[in-house]
Amino acid sequence: MISAVEFQSVGKSFGETVALDNISFSVKPGETIALLGPSGCGKTTILRLIAGFERPDSGTITIGGKSMAGLKPYERNVGLLFQHYALFPHMTVEQNIGYGLRHRGHAAREIPARVAEMLDLVRLTGFGHRRPNELSGGQQQRVALARALATHPSLLLLDEPLSALDAKLRHELRTELKDVLAAVGSTAIVVTHDQEEAMSLGERIFVMSRGEIMQSGKPDDVYWRPKSRFVADFMGRTNWIRGSVVATDGSVSTFRSEFGWEFPVAASRDGAAMKDVCVRPESVEISSGTGRAGAIGMAGRVEDVVTLGAFRHVSVELSSGDRIISACANRPDISFEAGQEITISMPPQACVLFA
Amino acid sequence: MTNARQQTAAISISDRRDRAITLAPAVLVLAFGFLSPLINLAIESLKEFTPGRVGSVENAATTVQNYHELANQAFANVLLTTFWIGGVAALVGQLVAFPLAYFIVRRLSPRMRTLALGFLITLVLSSVLIKTYAIELTFGSVGILRPLLLTVGLSANSREYINIVVIAGLVHSIIPVATLTLMGAMQSIDPRLLDAAQSLGAPGWKAHLSITLPLSLPALVSSTLISLTFAISAFVIPMVLGRGRVLFMSNVIYTRFSDIANYPSGAAISLVMLATALAVISVITLAHAWKSRR
Repeated sequence: MISAVEFQSVGKSFGETVALDNISFSVKPGETIALLGPSGCGKTTILRLIAGFERPDSGTITIGGKSMAGLKPYERNVGLLFQHYALFPHMTVEQNIGYGLRHRGHAAREIPARVAEMLDLVRLTGFGHRRPNELSGGQQQRVALARALATHPSLLLLDEPLSALDAKLRHELRTELKDVLAAVGSTAIVVTHDQEEAMSLGERIFVMSRGEIMQSGKPDDVYWRPKSRFVADFMGRTNWIRGSVVATDGSVSTFRSEFGWEFPVAASRDGAAMKDVCVRPESVEISSGTGRAGAIGMAGRVEDVVTLGAFRHVSVELSSGDRIISACANRPDISFEAGQEITISMPPQACVLFA
Repeated sequence: MTNARQQTAAISISDRRDRAITLAPAVLVLAFGFLSPLINLAIESLKEFTPGRVGSVENAATTVQNYHELANQAFANVLLTTFWIGGVAALVGQLVAFPLAYFIVRRLSPRMRTLALGFLITLVLSSVLIKTYAIELTFGSVGILRPLLLTVGLSANSREYINIVVIAGLVHSIIPVATLTLMGAMQSIDPRLLDAAQSLGAPGWKAHLSITLPLSLPALVSSTLISLTFAISAFVIPMVLGRGRVLFMSNVIYTRFSDIANYPSGAAISLVMLATALAVISVITLAHAWKSRR
């Protein structure tokens, strides 16, 4: 099968700064990829290289099997969705959506129908004569999406598509964006620094740092089985526990913390060298009382509780002396207070070993 | 409630006083330094002139003769020359300044941009007289480039050539002012709009025509007006480069006042000039306002 997009050993530097260091990857047709990383990691450079605003120093980029070398942005049929929409302020919604159709040589009499179709797709029928500044942020983003999709691009690039919106709207639009992408079946690459946005939109995530792809995979793979400390930390909150592997039996190893707390973890091939365990707070189950302590649990005392709405972050000091944070659902029938005796437990597969 | 209302009132009184204090110096200067001479000029323009005198005599009879005698072909030609040469210079200036402003704002590094800005401001502030003589010494009748012009068949004394040199002199002064005016507008255009246009299939030049140009149109109109106002009121440039063959309104006004001391006639020409300039500028401004409202 021909890849929708393929990078082969692509390198790009700006002066002394290496933006992309020999990157290779390929995207399947119809797939949605999220490029995730902190600012300056090279994700925007990948997007600008695909769109044709930058040229690679080395390597080749193909779109649909066709080399993009020497092709100008307007010679590639790549749709772009910008963070701040980049709608043309002096044109109406209709003119904005029709812009690409006019410049890509569509017959003038076909344009109104296609524009109407796109307005319908993003549920903005009746807004065609408005100017961008008469629309809300969410509506502007939808117009931008309609404009980008109007010319049937072979590929859609989305640059931080939701980060300019407030939390509630972001949630709504994320669902809508997924629906629209699924409806048109377009290959899409989302660039974002927000792991939630990446996990919710991307079928696969490429986590990037300093011009390199650190790890790629399905959202759950990257989240639960990070291959590096960077990925573990970047994908969400983590508890880091120092210690060493004391025994391994099949797929489960026993880990002993510096304070002497022993618990089962997912085995790693070179177990002996592993010195740290990473556990996501939501994997740390917490129950009141010390009754269940023993083989599967560990007794401790609540130090602090922070309520975040849907979740509570409970800081726990274990009887061994280890400290750990548990994120648990905030429920009206369960409460934790500082000083309370509790027991924690963690599934072994949620405990990942690091060297 | 009453307390709050009293507070609002107190604020608005001090607000009004603040406004009066901040405006007062400008109003005073404009009233005494600008408006009163203008009124005086208007009165002078309506007085009868006795040849041989300097200015009008005291208790001179009131007359519209000074305006009436302007209704002739010679004066109309001067008015026309002033506006067509000034207009062409203003437009040519925009054609050069627009891409230059874009280049400085979008293509130069911040450091080079600061240098360019400094260079432009130096050009604005440097003496028009010096710049004009520099042009005359290069392209004029004894200019060092004269042999070059002769080889391409242009006579340095032809009317066409003198027109071109006057326009060049005006454009030379217009470019820095227009560039500085346009740079502000260019700066405020989001560069991603051009990226978006290109990703939608528009080549660079089409993207500029459909995005950059309409978005900087208000600034382009202001810049054209500033340039036109500068050009039609130019004095030194047509005097030096025009070599007596290109006469602008300001040159005629100067002659009336200084050479033949006919103050009433000079005053009348000045007012006709002011009225014509105001009319042209109003028409352009209103046309733009009307167009952008639609």
